[in-house]
Amino acid sequence: MSVDGTALDVAPRSARIAAQEDGAAAPSKAGPGRQLARVLVALVVAGIVAQSFYVVQARPGDLITGVHGMVDIVSRAMPPAWSEIGDTLWPTLETVDLAIFGTVFGVLMAVPLAVLAASNVTPARPLYYLARGVIALTRAVPDLVWALLFVTAVGLGPFPGALALSVHSIGMLGRLFAEVIEDMDFGPVEALTLTGASRLQVFSHAVVPGVLPSLLGISLYRFDENLRSSLVLGFVGAGGIGFRLLSAMNLFQYQTVSLLLVATFILVMAAERGSALLRRQVA
Amino acid sequence: MSTALADTAPVAETRLAVRGLRMRYPNGKLALDGVDLTVRAGELVTILGSNGSGKTTLLRCVARLQDPTEGEVRVGGQDLARLNGEALRKARLALAMVFQRANLVRRRSVLANVASGALGRRRTLWTMLGGLPAEELPLAHELLRQVGVERLGGQRADTLSGGQAQRAAIARALAQRPKLILADEPVASLDPEAAEEIMRLLRQLAIDGGLAVLCVLHQPALALRYSHRVVGLRDGIIAFDLPADRDADLHIALLYKDLVA
Repeated sequence: MSVDGTALDVAPRSARIAAQEDGAAAPSKAGPGRQLARVLVALVVAGIVAQSFYVVQARPGDLITGVHGMVDIVSRAMPPAWSEIGDTLWPTLETVDLAIFGTVFGVLMAVPLAVLAASNVTPARPLYYLARGVIALTRAVPDLVWALLFVTAVGLGPFPGALALSVHSIGMLGRLFAEVIEDMDFGPVEALTLTGASRLQVFSHAVVPGVLPSLLGISLYRFDENLRSSLVLGFVGAGGIGFRLLSAMNLFQYQTVSLLLVATFILVMAAERGSALLRRQVA
Repeated sequence: MSTALADTAPVAETRLAVRGLRMRYPNGKLALDGVDLTVRAGELVTILGSNGSGKTTLLRCVARLQDPTEGEVRVGGQDLARLNGEALRKARLALAMVFQRANLVRRRSVLANVASGALGRRRTLWTMLGGLPAEELPLAHELLRQVGVERLGGQRADTLSGGQAQRAAIARALAQRPKLILADEPVASLDPEAAEEIMRLLRQLAIDGGLAVLCVLHQPALALRYSHRVVGLRDGIIAFDLPADRDADLHIALLYKDLVA
């Protein structure tokens, strides 16, 4: 019996060894072909990079001659207009609140969508495709385009920016949330189902504790992303520091610009560190 | 004599009666082919068989984690194979399952995991936000004491060793107050000492607790040592169903010899 058993074990192992030997021998057999393929891949990559230089009209010389202009702007921007700190606080708060609103409403909409869009828990196939479609659409359209659309619809100010961040976040979060649910350990779900617990009880006692840390981590990361996006959204009239920055640039108030850039730097760094800290807490 | 008979009568109550159970997968493979099996109160019955013989499928069909194609699964007088929705949920209260990987909610405390076994007896509304009724906690403490891990109640489930997690999983099953426990390879990922302890505990639950225990194992020695009956499953068919004695030993040897040959 043991001999037979050993024979059964040995057969696949010998097959594996044979396969490994084949693999080891392969480079010497297919050596020239493989090298030719590598050269071709390198040429294709070089070609792709070269065409990008042509299309973007890259002129490294201009970068060197432009240093003078950049130094001039920097010197005019120094020192930052510290006396205007008071005026910077409101747009800074607006920027933070854009990110908070965008993330919170994005999460609130993304969670139910993700449940419908997760293949393992979706209640019906048509709902799965519908949810996947909504997620793809909201994700594919950049937040800047959403902001332009909402500025047209509801006018200038932070509200269109907040709506743009919310809608784009639905897509980004919905997809990631759905993946978390699809990768969830189903063992505890089965275990609680067999205790005679209702579907809602299973959801709140097994599904939620299983996926919550990942969902919180992703949401915090999204907040971080939304904060950066909210800075740019101001350029299309959707409020926040970006709007103030654009105005200062247009009025050649470079010292105000440098103050706003300092505020932006502090804000982004604080959000990055803060969300990283919180993500570690919920992991 | 008559008193003794009267004492043993409730112990012999049938807790699980499987009749003509067939299970065919969508790809046409027949996983179970007319399985008949009875498990009584106070009895630990072990199913043995090679990989793919249908052991786990049988347990999952009994628990209705998979739908059988044909046949009856009678637990507490009800045919689980015919039930759905709320009726199935209520019928499931009578059976609990212990899984190979314990299947605890990793981030919750051991105590919360054990108390969650009682969820089926509680109204959904009160427990929806992840809370557990305070009156279940003393029971959870008591069950942790029974399975020998009372000091671990406050720890997170993902800090437990394999044996401790399996004990906590058994405590969760007991919190359900079941009449039948299904155990799917409960010692597969444990070291030999922990495996012996878990099997001893399951046998004790059957004998002292009056529960019916149906267990799937891959270790014939453990099956013979702790079970009252051993059932051999080959290609979805019951090859033998015998008391765990020397006679069964021979049949088990033949069951695995056939596999190797």
